[in-house]
Amino acid sequence: MFPPNAPTIDRTLFVRFVLLLLLLVPPLSSEAASKNYSLYIATGSVTITASPVTGNGAATIPSWGYTDVAGGPGKVPGPILTAREGDAVSVTVVNNDSRSHNFVVKRVTTDTSAIPAGGTKTYTFTAPAAGAYVYYDSLAGNVNREMGLYGIFIVEPADGSLSAWAGGPAYTSAVSWVVSEMDKPRWNDVASSGGTVNTSVYKPNYFLMNGMNGFQAMGDANTSIMGRVGDVALVRLVNAGQYSHSLHFHGNHYRLIDEDGVRLASFKELDIVNVPPLGTVMVLFELNQPGVYPMHIHTAQMETGNGVYLNGVAAMIAIEP
Amino acid sequence: MRATLKKRVLFLGLPAAAALAGLVFAGRAEAATINKTVCVRNVTKTLSGTNVNFWGFTEGCMGMGAGLVPGPVVEMGEGDTLNLTLNVMMAPEEAAPYNGHTIHLHGLDVPQAEDGVPETGASVSGDTYTFTAKPGWAGSYIYHCHVHTVKHLEMGMYASLIIRPKDANGNFLKQITSTAATAYDYVQNYLISTVDPGYHTATGDSTVFADYNPLYFLIEGKEGKSKTAPAVTLAAATGKKVALRLIGLHSVNARFTLRDSNGSAKSFTIHTRDGRSLPAPETVSSVSISPGQRYDILFTLPSTSGTWYPQVEFQDLWNGNTYTGGTVYGKITF
Ligand SMILES: [Cu+2]
Ligand SMILES: [Cu+2]
Repeated sequence: MFPPNAPTIDRTLFVRFVLLLLLLVPPLSSEAASKNYSLYIATGSVTITASPVTGNGAATIPSWGYTDVAGGPGKVPGPILTAREGDAVSVTVVNNDSRSHNFVVKRVTTDTSAIPAGGTKTYTFTAPAAGAYVYYDSLAGNVNREMGLYGIFIVEPADGSLSAWAGGPAYTSAVSWVVSEMDKPRWNDVASSGGTVNTSVYKPNYFLMNGMNGFQAMGDANTSIMGRVGDVALVRLVNAGQYSHSLHFHGNHYRLIDEDGVRLASFKELDIVNVPPLGTVMVLFELNQPGVYPMHIHTAQMETGNGVYLNGVAAMIAIEP
Repeated sequence: MRATLKKRVLFLGLPAAAALAGLVFAGRAEAATINKTVCVRNVTKTLSGTNVNFWGFTEGCMGMGAGLVPGPVVEMGEGDTLNLTLNVMMAPEEAAPYNGHTIHLHGLDVPQAEDGVPETGASVSGDTYTFTAKPGWAGSYIYHCHVHTVKHLEMGMYASLIIRPKDANGNFLKQITSTAATAYDYVQNYLISTVDPGYHTATGDSTVFADYNPLYFLIEGKEGKSKTAPAVTLAAATGKKVALRLIGLHSVNARFTLRDSNGSAKSFTIHTRDGRSLPAPETVSSVSISPGQRYDILFTLPSTSGTWYPQVEFQDLWNGNTYTGGTVYGKITF
């Protein structure tokens, strides 16, 4: 990417350079492939960093998670799983935890039986329609999911094109957002120490974007929407939590193109997307004016991490001219 | 991020830019420039018998009069330019780093310099916020403070901003949008909000702000806990069209329905959402409103006289249960 007003670029050289790049890119292929993943279930922790404004709010939350590193601590969220429509997907889940767990991809898999402690199970399925899916542990009420056992499964079009689905809206860059919450004192602290969670009370005090507190997420390149005026960002968004997340975009409206796998016939232009628990959406955000803008949740307490402002659900939008 | 406050200097050219925008549109008869100044003042509301302190916007900047919750409505036409000035003189405020106030033009897609977000460079010491409403923007918006929003929104620093379609002579049309099918005889704002008194006394980074326990539920800043004591009333003629602007400033889930005196739900049509026309109007018998959302809806009253009750049920974010006292009524007699 060259700045549009860069005076020193030889145009002929530039065109040759672009043509060379095009030659290097492999041609789009529609052939179904097989995608094999191994996930390990393990305990871990979520690190909440302090607000750089006030210095408040650093914390460590005990968690359980899926990880792609054998022997490693569980990650929150779990690894991003990707496939192309029609791919034969195989996910081998190794339960390295002392409790029973499982692995469910909402709208894709149906086996909810437990993998006992120390057990292994392989799930095979065909990658469904291009879109965003949420995977999670459905056992123990919502406790296993609340502890961090969830992640996003992304299905791209079969031809690998940069479009939300084959023949669908095109984009120049994509981000995935997994939003969630944790009730540290009543759920995570209790479950991680072997206690029984009173699941009739849920008062989450941490609200996470891609497993991070707000200040971490706002500084995370993989979470931010970044680009130049004229670019279009595709956001694949899943809510792994138990609260609805009402997210507000500054700088521009977005287009809602898919809700829970239902592709909209005509795209609504909105500035708030409200995602219910285990809901998934895809939105297109057009980068139409330079500047730095926040995307943040509009629900009071969910803007905080245990009451520390801006340490809740947020991301940055950075647009260059 | 606070370090970017240095950028404030860059925005000193703002008033000049605003004046320029005014000139550009001065040549067009239908476009107006609206200048409005608001201040921030304390106001005590008595909610279910309990006094709660709020900070409200007001245009009465000449003394220590009470603030308004919600603040003064800003109404402008498509094509019009707004210069909305925030004067923070004598404003109640928090201690640093959450001192001062700003105005965020919620849903108006303004550039960074007008966005009112301190963390991306906005001054918290008062400023003029400028934008021009584009064609197709007719609908409902919000202006609200963007300093320590977990507290400042709860304190009541919010108000409706309405963009209306205009005719060729520059007069407001009695329509939600420029589409004739959105014509109405009556229009009312239904700005909805919730109140957790604990948030009104807490300040700074407090664990109080991690747990939201609303006790009071408002439409247009008023409680309306029963059909006999509604928050908002409208006296209309039979057979006429009513538009309501549903504007969400709450922090829980909410569900709007329109019911007759027997409690039967009446359908209504959503024409715009978040300030944009829907690709196709949607006729429904209820709509959920999430924090920050706006809906402009339309319905026709029956040809025989009666009473309808627009109502909002405020629901727990987790289990969806309606809060005790969490149903707030409006009333339309015809
Ligand atoms: Cu404020
Ligand atoms: Cu807002």
